[in-house]
Amino acid sequence: MRLLAPVLLLAVLLIGCRPADPHKLLFIIVPSQDNPFFKSEADAAAARAQQLGYRTRIDAHDDDAYRQDNLIDAAIASNAAAIILDNAGSDSSISAVRRATKAGIPVFLMDREIAADGIAKAQIIADNDQGARLVAAEFGRALNGSGKYAELIGKESDTNAQIRTHGFHAVLDGMPGLKLVTAQSANWSQSEAFSKTETMLQAHSDITGIIAGNDTMALGAAAAVKSAGLHNIQIVGFDGSPDAVAAIRSGELNATALQPSVYIARLAVEEADRLLKTGSTGKPERQIVPCDLVTKQNANLYENFEKVR
Amino acid sequence: MRSVAKTLSSSDRLASSSARLILMLLRARAILVLLLLLVLFSVLAPNFLTANNLSILAKHVAISAILAIGMTFVILTGGIDLSVGSVAGLGGMIAGYLLTQGLSLGGAVHFPPLVIVVFLTLAVCLSVGALNGWLVARAGVAPFIATLGTLYIARGAALLISNGKTFPNLAGTAAHHNTGLTTIGQGFLLGLPAPVWIMLLLFGVAAFVAVKTPFGRHVYAVGGNERAARLAGIRIPRVKLATYLFSSLCAGIVGLIIASQLEAAHPATGETFELNAIAAVVLGGTSLMGGRGSVTGSLIGAFVIGVLADGLVMLGVSEFWQIVIKGVVIVLAVAIDQLQTRLQARFLPLILRSSQEAGA
Repeated sequence: MRLLAPVLLLAVLLIGCRPADPHKLLFIIVPSQDNPFFKSEADAAAARAQQLGYRTRIDAHDDDAYRQDNLIDAAIASNAAAIILDNAGSDSSISAVRRATKAGIPVFLMDREIAADGIAKAQIIADNDQGARLVAAEFGRALNGSGKYAELIGKESDTNAQIRTHGFHAVLDGMPGLKLVTAQSANWSQSEAFSKTETMLQAHSDITGIIAGNDTMALGAAAAVKSAGLHNIQIVGFDGSPDAVAAIRSGELNATALQPSVYIARLAVEEADRLLKTGSTGKPERQIVPCDLVTKQNANLYENFEKVR
Repeated sequence: MRSVAKTLSSSDRLASSSARLILMLLRARAILVLLLLLVLFSVLAPNFLTANNLSILAKHVAISAILAIGMTFVILTGGIDLSVGSVAGLGGMIAGYLLTQGLSLGGAVHFPPLVIVVFLTLAVCLSVGALNGWLVARAGVAPFIATLGTLYIARGAALLISNGKTFPNLAGTAAHHNTGLTTIGQGFLLGLPAPVWIMLLLFGVAAFVAVKTPFGRHVYAVGGNERAARLAGIRIPRVKLATYLFSSLCAGIVGLIIASQLEAAHPATGETFELNAIAAVVLGGTSLMGGRGSVTGSLIGAFVIGVLADGLVMLGVSEFWQIVIKGVVIVLAVAIDQLQTRLQARFLPLILRSSQEAGA
């Protein structure tokens, strides 16, 4: 430590001596930019950071922990003031977060946790379990507590896919009239959900409900139900994407659990700003934000992953 | 010649007739596997053998079958086209852009009618095919590398078009006179889904071209022995370019079908589709070395993969097992292909001799 202090002082002086860019860099890393959920999360974080006077850079790790590692190195090399990260896996991301923290760059996690405490400055997530229970309860209500239903599960190696299906069943398995007849993974994909739902409807023509682990799969299922000429099949999703909210307004989907990702992204940036200015976020490390249930009754209140009215 | 016939013993004759049977079964393996799967799933899944389910099954198969039909010619020349999945994704995005954003010409936004949308979409996809063909045939880049590059280029372009977003509501609007895309993927003709008709049409054309036209013979010749083909005066670059163009055309059609079915275009559509198409071609008995195989085989191969996928979903088998089973089937198919080649090399002289004797 005695050695470290002068080195740090020197580093600070050197940085201070550089023809400094007046704006510090916030490095934002998200899983992908071709998914509306992560896209709006990244955009919201960047917009808030720019309001607060930061430069921003957005990158995607494609759920690849190795790519994430390289991006963290890039953030360290480009001397970022803080990293806002939606990570690539709760166990596989720990070392990358630790490396950044050791390099003196605070890391703020949004949307997904890591399985370690005391490394990241904040871990702000949407309550997937509560959201899943919320949407499952609405699903059960729409089916009047009885009938056969199918489930579309997300990528099964993904933690959130597990938490959501667990939350669904915590509620649905308690309704004796409901029977799960088939469950398939559609890997979060709309086209895969479309063809798998078509096939599932062939095997089980008496399905009255489909519960999906995210909105893109729910929309794929809705397209398949429509193409089969069926009506009165209740479909619910998860995420609260703009396309799903529009489909709820038009009656193609029944409900979704909106993850307040835009709110969470802004919160992560604000806490990073507070830490950089005051030395503390003033909040506990782990923060859980509840999801909202979006149905036809309140769908006009939501836009682009947040409540606007 | 007579002395050869004399040396043919009776045991040789027996061996040659059973070898002929084994070879025949091996050659028909894809269709045998397909029949086996159809019987298996009909027994295990109660609603499998219904007209409605078979029609939906054929519609699902159409996606990989159309890609496989295009891919067959490329592989027959000894090449490979890894870009088809990305080109399908790009095609959907082009159509989505034109239908929802229109074209801005001279400051005003025009919404082109569906025919123009389809035409422009396929033109963009063909330009990727032209790039593939030029890289392989003229620039001498290895097909694997050239099409791996265009795989990334096309996927990146698809993401750039919408900045990563999905284009929803592709049904078109009457006000813009651009409705009708939904017919391509959702329409029916004589009780069969439109994609199945598109598949059958492309299959008919491709099978005819492969077997009955000089171009088809040139494709086989280029893949069988490129040097000999060149000495025989075949314009190899032109043949190769045509195969890559056809493959990307098929990919563009697939992109349109998927966008039409979902009424939405997502830039990540078509990821790993190229692998399904290659698997179908290989299952159908086309050699990755080129020069040997058939379009019919690829169609049957696509059906094997499609029946397997849908049948396992109907039985409620877990996704993880589905992936493993698909892999096992592909590996077995290639292993049997090797067995056939070796048996052929060993028994063909015998068979030829015995048929000579019969003819004498």
